[in-house]
Amino acid sequence: MPKEWVVVYSITDFITVGMLLTVVAMNSLKRMESFLRAYTINSILLAALMAVSAFYLDAAHLYIAAAVTLASKGVAIPLLLRKVVRSLKITHEAEPNINTPLSLVISSVLVVIVYSSLSKGIFIEGFTENTLKVSISIILISLFIMITRKKAVTQVIGLLLMENGLFLAGFSLTYGMSTIIELGVVFDVLMGAIILGVFLSQIKKTFIDLDLDKLTTLKG
Amino acid sequence: METDRPDKAVSVVNGEISSACYLLYAAGCLFLGLFSLRDLLFGYSWYLSLPLSGVLSLSFGGGGLSAYFVIILSLLGFCVSIYSVGYTKHSGGGSPWPSFFIFGIFLSSMCAVFYSANIPAFLISWETMSLSSYFLVVSDTTNIESSRAGLLYAVMTHVGTAFIMAAFMVMFFATGSLEFTAIKAGLAGAGGLRSVIFVLALTGFGTKAGIIPLHTWLPRAHPAAPSNVSALMSGVMIKSGIYGILLVAFNILGAGAGLSAAPLWWGVAVLSAGAVSSVMGIMHALMERDIKRLLAYSSVENIGIILLGVGASMIFSCNNLPVLAGLALAAALYHTLNHAVFKGLLFMGAGSVVNTTGTKNLEEMGGLIKRMPWTGLFFLVGSIAICALPPFNGFMSEWLTFQSLIMGIKTSVVLAKTLMLLSGAALALTGALAASCFVKAFGISFLGVPRSREAQAAKEAPAAMLLGMGILSLFCLLLGIFPGYILKLLSGIPLPVLGSLPQFVPGGLAVFGIGSSGVLPVTLLGSFLAGAAFIFVFPLAAGGGRKSTCADPWDCGIQKLTPRMQYTATAFTHPLRRIFKKIYKPRKEVRIEYIVKPFFTREIEYRSEITPLAEAYFYRPLVRALHGLAHFAKRLQSGNLQLYLGYILGTLVVLLVVWG
Repeated sequence: MPKEWVVVYSITDFITVGMLLTVVAMNSLKRMESFLRAYTINSILLAALMAVSAFYLDAAHLYIAAAVTLASKGVAIPLLLRKVVRSLKITHEAEPNINTPLSLVISSVLVVIVYSSLSKGIFIEGFTENTLKVSISIILISLFIMITRKKAVTQVIGLLLMENGLFLAGFSLTYGMSTIIELGVVFDVLMGAIILGVFLSQIKKTFIDLDLDKLTTLKG
Repeated sequence: METDRPDKAVSVVNGEISSACYLLYAAGCLFLGLFSLRDLLFGYSWYLSLPLSGVLSLSFGGGGLSAYFVIILSLLGFCVSIYSVGYTKHSGGGSPWPSFFIFGIFLSSMCAVFYSANIPAFLISWETMSLSSYFLVVSDTTNIESSRAGLLYAVMTHVGTAFIMAAFMVMFFATGSLEFTAIKAGLAGAGGLRSVIFVLALTGFGTKAGIIPLHTWLPRAHPAAPSNVSALMSGVMIKSGIYGILLVAFNILGAGAGLSAAPLWWGVAVLSAGAVSSVMGIMHALMERDIKRLLAYSSVENIGIILLGVGASMIFSCNNLPVLAGLALAAALYHTLNHAVFKGLLFMGAGSVVNTTGTKNLEEMGGLIKRMPWTGLFFLVGSIAICALPPFNGFMSEWLTFQSLIMGIKTSVVLAKTLMLLSGAALALTGALAASCFVKAFGISFLGVPRSREAQAAKEAPAAMLLGMGILSLFCLLLGIFPGYILKLLSGIPLPVLGSLPQFVPGGLAVFGIGSSGVLPVTLLGSFLAGAAFIFVFPLAAGGGRKSTCADPWDCGIQKLTPRMQYTATAFTHPLRRIFKKIYKPRKEVRIEYIVKPFFTREIEYRSEITPLAEAYFYRPLVRALHGLAHFAKRLQSGNLQLYLGYILGTLVVLLVVWG
């Protein structure tokens, strides 16, 4: 079978590990635009993964899903967020709650925990348990990034990263949900990003800052 | 002015409707009473099951213990209904119409509680009773205090209901049945589970009955409620707690059938609760200046006396003394009836007084016996009965309780023996304090010179109210003179304990087969009358034909006594406050304003308060602990978004490690 090389060379694993690396790398990124770029790469890799499995499985609807993912997560959302970031004039993340070396260590510890405790799932053809483990790791690390960072924009990107992780997990366990559901999910994410963008501007307007520590004053 | 007329017309129509309703209730009570009396006298029992759905049904049954409590309910309900005809017209205030409607629900739900024969029926009736009484407590919408009291009552009664429901749930899970008779059979060999049920039921029903320290709602809810309602609540509703304890302990768990049925500590627990409640209840009553709170605390005391009998009965049956066990339980049941009669009477009397003077404060009454002679007479009868003086009914049941406690020395277990002696001492102390308390309640309010303009202008209560009180006064006397009939009635209750109730001298109280000295109530009545006659005849005989002069007593040459020179309620109890300083922990505050120091004063303010024991040592620490816990939990809520995200991450990681 001519398409065997996908499995033989573990293409899917390469791509998922690439996604994991981008997320881990985001721990050390402080410039807003590079942070956003890492997210973009992550999304493009996700779309690529979907395209590869569509090619391997000969499933037309997965091509569509891959295309939609690329268009929304790889292009539309990064563009939107970049616009927000530029309009809000935030170029750098404030000093994170946990310093970079330590957060890198904690990220790797999270990956270790996931790898050591997650049991085997039931995967679609061409995927291994690595995919699931990587996707759970991505979810946990992006949650961890949300904890360490103080700016609201990074929180939003962290949330979107988590969404990528969830998407990956779902995708690796099923042959992709039916196209209409995938489209719905993508649309949801897009809407979420837009709403969060508006929120960011509002927070900035109200608190003069996007530093989330200020939100503590809302507590009764 | 035009707009007032329809309102007035409506209120007149409402008044007529409410009178008609109360008369209807009275008729219903009469019927129920006779019906249950027939059940009890001839040993009838009936059973009725109303299916609700496939598995659930409401069943009711009459006869035995239920019939006895329904008789109590209907006797008091009859008199209170008649009283209410006058009371609601007289008292005004608030809108009367829902209250007479709810009054009927309250009466019938109490009846349903006593007749319930399975768990759903019992719980539904119980909850209806609690809720309807709550609405009656808060029916005085103009008073903020009554809505607060109502809230406390609602909370406490539901705490109690929670315990009761837990007890019933344990029963259901142990036996798989909802019918009391089937549960009784199923629980025969349940072992330790029986104790769990007993403790849950004692706590739950104890809250309703008002045993210390679960009594806090009583002294607040009773004064807040209209007096006809407090008469019913104090006379019958808190007895439903006693009924519940008897139902669970004796009917379902079969206590009183020897040591195998109920361990000794059950009886010890009930006896201790009774002793503490009786002594502490009357001690708090003694210090009250609010006449209705005084009566409410006195209800706590009487519940204590009833529980002394119940507990003694359980201990005796553990020690294989069936005759004494029967006697003690009979004393408890007898006192239940008696307390309903005289406490209902006293609350109605207090209601008449409060209605006409507009105050519940004893310090603002005085001299009422001149203005309301009949109410005064009836209140005096109630006071004498509750002080347990012959020939009234309180004496008979307290004396029976005493007798059984003193004979408790016969028990073989040292613990039980000691407890019996201590409880006997507690009962004696209670009796003495109760006498003092009601000398105060009657003396300060009815005797002396009016202490306020309202007391000066007091008027006698209308005929319907007097009739209600009069019937109960008559019963106070009858129940005191013919105790033998009541004991005969009690032996008709098919509980194994009462089966061995000894024979009584007809019309007397001497117990055959125990060898104690008997007392014939008729003899007592005779000596009472002779004493009374002596008091009237002696001054005439000793004074001869001497001319008598009328003068104010004890005016010490001042010649113009003012009401403020009288003995006050606070002053009257001052010696006792000093004696029991350790328990009351009184706080005293005297503030004096001088014109010329130190001889001429403009104003002296004296304030004295006692520390309510249960609040200080039970509820306040409880509340403080809860607050501390809440404060600790508050620290989790820092308001920091990252911290909350951290909680999520931590939870996820833990879940992953544990179940991954």
